[in-house]
Amino acid sequence: MDERNFMFMFYGFAAAWLILAGYVISLVRREKVLKRQLEQLRRMLEHQEETP
Amino acid sequence: MREKILVGLAGLAGLLLVRNLYVMLLELPDEAAQGAIYRIIFFHVPAAWTAFVCFFVALVASVLYLLRKNLRYDAVAVSATEVGLAFGAVNLVTGMIWARIIWGIWWTWDARLTSMLVCWLLYAGYLMLRRAVEDPTLRARFAAVFSIFAFVDVPIVWFSIKWWRTQHPGPVVWGGGSMDPAMYQMLFLNWVPVLLLGAVLTLLRMRLEETQRAVEALRQFR
Amino acid sequence: MRFVRQALAIAAKDLRAEMRTKEAWNASLAFALVILLLFSFAFEPTAEQTREIAGGLLWLVFAFAGALILNRSFARELPNDCLDALVASPVAPAALYLGKALASFLLLTAVELVALPVFGVFYNVRWTAQFWPLMLVLVLGTWALTVIGTIFSALTVNLRLRELMLPTLVYPLLVPGLMAAMQLMTPLVVGQPLGPELYDWLKLLAGFDIIFTALSLALVETVLVG
Repeated sequence: MDERNFMFMFYGFAAAWLILAGYVISLVRREKVLKRQLEQLRRMLEHQEETP
Repeated sequence: MREKILVGLAGLAGLLLVRNLYVMLLELPDEAAQGAIYRIIFFHVPAAWTAFVCFFVALVASVLYLLRKNLRYDAVAVSATEVGLAFGAVNLVTGMIWARIIWGIWWTWDARLTSMLVCWLLYAGYLMLRRAVEDPTLRARFAAVFSIFAFVDVPIVWFSIKWWRTQHPGPVVWGGGSMDPAMYQMLFLNWVPVLLLGAVLTLLRMRLEETQRAVEALRQFR
Repeated sequence: MRFVRQALAIAAKDLRAEMRTKEAWNASLAFALVILLLFSFAFEPTAEQTREIAGGLLWLVFAFAGALILNRSFARELPNDCLDALVASPVAPAALYLGKALASFLLLTAVELVALPVFGVFYNVRWTAQFWPLMLVLVLGTWALTVIGTIFSALTVNLRLRELMLPTLVYPLLVPGLMAAMQLMTPLVVGQPLGPELYDWLKLLAGFDIIFTALSLALVETVLVG
């Protein structure tokens, strides 16, 4: 019982950090996708300007 | 400059967390009745407070958006709401893990658990609403209105659900807390880094929103 | 005074249009009756324990049926750009909102008044024993549903997935109001009087109505005009 109590304390701590880490990972991933889209759009617009 | 502030805040939060973890794991004794598991409260409760601070910030930003029509406030509102949801999830999940040991069950329809879940669903609705609107200014306007409705609803949800019989241990801060002063102090000490972390995450999310805005602006050019 | 006249004109217009097509009325009533039928498979309909959850069951039915009516409230104005015309007309947005809320309220109440006797027959309860207190709770609860439902009907009218967005946004907001209505309805619908321990719920429900009516009236212009 005592050991289980102790283990669950660590599960609790780990869960808290995993959720926050998951959120940060999702932020980074979304940022990557957006940066790629931004790059694509810029290139597309430059291309349009060159060939009117 | 902004990068430096972000890194500085995150570093400060990290340092405080390491210090707090050291104290709470190695210096504070186990609680008499609950054993080691009581330490979850040092993250469980500050996470809930941080979530509500986030929702309050979102409310203020939403009102400011409606008054000034500046999309920057909308970025603050959506960022704070999302981070609030993340901390709300931390609160719910850590609470469930604690309940499994202390009450022997993962979930119970106790007042606070239910209230927190309803709040979480409310603000999850906020994010869903944003996804359904394409036009940025329309999205900001509708989201701001919903955020105001949600925040007004939160205290009513809280009181109404409180009238059910409650299983949750009484609030540790206001009213009849029976906590050891050192542990009690730790609760607030650990709120500082958790809140700082919330601020860092909100700023990160705001940067994402700016990139998003840039993409949307370029799309309109095309 | 002009405000009230405008609101009543909008409500009359909506009800007249609904009377001619009966689209929301038919869908909502049929839906309510089907759910009442389905619940009888989920629970033993005449068992004592079903009486204890009767109030909850009824409000679930009303909330689902209400979503169908509320979805139509502003969506009805979409063809031929009627909504733009209404917003551009001299009618104040708050009056437009109040009129629409009133029309939905009357429609939903009518659906409920048909569903209640059916419920009484199916589940063998004497719901008429506490008729007037029951009506009070019905009116307060239905107003809570329509007042929040109508403002979000206006908000979601131009969205993709309008029919899905409305209930997902509205039901969590309605939790306190629905909870109070359920608590109050449970004794009333089986013919027991309201005990004094339930007065707090009555106050909560009335307060919920007042707060969200005021908030909606304050924000409807932002939603419709910007």
